[in-house]
Amino acid sequence: MSNRAAKFGSIYFGIFGAIVLIFGIAGFVVMGAYGTEGVTWGPLEMSGMFFVWRAIILVSAGAMYLSSVCNFGDTRQLAKSVAASIMIWIVAGMWIWAGIAGSIPGGEEGGWFFPSAEELVGLWTAIPPAVFLALLSLAIIYPIRSRRKTA
Amino acid sequence: MELTVDQRWDLVERISKETVEVGKYEPSLKDALADVTVRPATGIPFAIAVIYGFWAFFCEFAGTLFTDGFFCKIFDGYWLPWLQGVFAGAPAWVFNIFVGDPLADNCFEAFGVLSSGIFVAIGVVLPAIVAFYLIFAILEDVGYMPRLAVLVDTLLHKIGLHGYAIVPTILSLGCNVPGVTATRSLETRKQRFLAITLLGVFVPCGAQIGIMEGMIPGLIGWVFLALAIGYFGIGWIINKIVPGESPEILMDVPPYQMPTARNIWMKLWTRTSKFLTVAVPFVLLGCVIVAVLYITGAMDAIASGLSPVITGVFGLPQDTAAAMIAGFLRKDLAVGTIGMLAAGGMTITVFQVFTAVVLLSIYFPCLATFALMIKELNWKEILGTLATLIVMVFVYGAILHLIGLSGIGSSPWVPLE
Repeated sequence: MSNRAAKFGSIYFGIFGAIVLIFGIAGFVVMGAYGTEGVTWGPLEMSGMFFVWRAIILVSAGAMYLSSVCNFGDTRQLAKSVAASIMIWIVAGMWIWAGIAGSIPGGEEGGWFFPSAEELVGLWTAIPPAVFLALLSLAIIYPIRSRRKTA
Repeated sequence: MELTVDQRWDLVERISKETVEVGKYEPSLKDALADVTVRPATGIPFAIAVIYGFWAFFCEFAGTLFTDGFFCKIFDGYWLPWLQGVFAGAPAWVFNIFVGDPLADNCFEAFGVLSSGIFVAIGVVLPAIVAFYLIFAILEDVGYMPRLAVLVDTLLHKIGLHGYAIVPTILSLGCNVPGVTATRSLETRKQRFLAITLLGVFVPCGAQIGIMEGMIPGLIGWVFLALAIGYFGIGWIINKIVPGESPEILMDVPPYQMPTARNIWMKLWTRTSKFLTVAVPFVLLGCVIVAVLYITGAMDAIASGLSPVITGVFGLPQDTAAAMIAGFLRKDLAVGTIGMLAAGGMTITVFQVFTAVVLLSIYFPCLATFALMIKELNWKEILGTLATLIVMVFVYGAILHLIGLSGIGSSPWVPLE
């Protein structure tokens, strides 16, 4: 990996890891205060049956990012950030999958295929932090590509 | 000179120390990632994320998309009315066995072989099993399952199994039948007996999980916790009591790789076809027996005979007795029946529902699993398994009853719509 990519990785994933960790801890706080009903704050949503598991995963991913920032150029350290990113992608991916699976048929009492456009849009108005974080975690591609070029 | 398994491993270690030289090397990203996923500090959080993904996919694919989205509509809107029309002129006992309750407006509550039996097998369990084995096959093909086995190896050694026993255990969460078959990969008879007993008693199948997920989503985590305590606690005791060896094994941990569609399809088909050919006939047979017991009045007689145990030892309402007995034949329908009884006015607390679901999970493997256990174990081992589950039912039932008496979860349970 180039020095530039290693430096970028250290700084970026240091800051990003802290943000992921904060969102994970916030998940526990919201869980303690509001239970599985959670809260919706602007476009952000923290609620649902597996809410506490999502919080555990975000805290772990945040900690893994932070533990990888020292000597980020080392492949073992980079692998920790890649594993943390995969964890966030799993959480985000399952939320997106739940939206798709719920919108294909219109529920037990609904129609056969696809609810109305309004209902469909309604499903996606509030988004959990993991989806935003998954987009930001895509920056991991840069150090991976840089490593591949220099290998 | 004959060496024991441990002595053999010591010898292997000594020889390898003297002959193998490990140089310095720069691992590839794949190697490093493989290492991260087996080290406990990073591997356990990663495993939690994978299991979360597994579970979330399972619930949405099986419950939301197929069962609620398509199969409920097909079976309740078309299949049941068609059956009711076709059997309209049949004698009452034929109607009751094949179609079930004439007033039922959905297949789940009808309790007939061709209504509830087919609906549960095809509409509820099949999507659950397909979802389960699809993800399982992908994880196996990617190379994650052997790493999960390495990760849990130390833990499973405490109960006399090794890490690879996680494969039959997880398979059993789909259907116990392929799970029991997969124990053939374990080395000794002791390990096979241990694994079959533990998964037959403490691992609920996809059918049950699917119905629990719809009926008691808030309690499902507690049910799994209670079963996990039993799995490890009783596993530890059986390991101490039962003679025999629990040797170490050398596991091949392949590198991570892209899964291939052909492999996944082959695995999915092999396992799902096992469910369709072995388990489904037993599901239907269970329906016939339950229907006959109800029609002849035998169910009420058995229920009133066993109600002192149900109410006195387990602390459950008397009305649940018939459902608990039906659970010997059809655990999934028994869980659903408790929901229907509550919806019909039976007063039952949240903790009693939890107790009933835990007891239904542990007190008898389904008929298909039991038939396979007879094939896989000798009669002494079968008796051992039965003794374990009988003791467990009473121990668990009494402990949960005592915990319930403290007032925990005493609010009335309201079934979900």
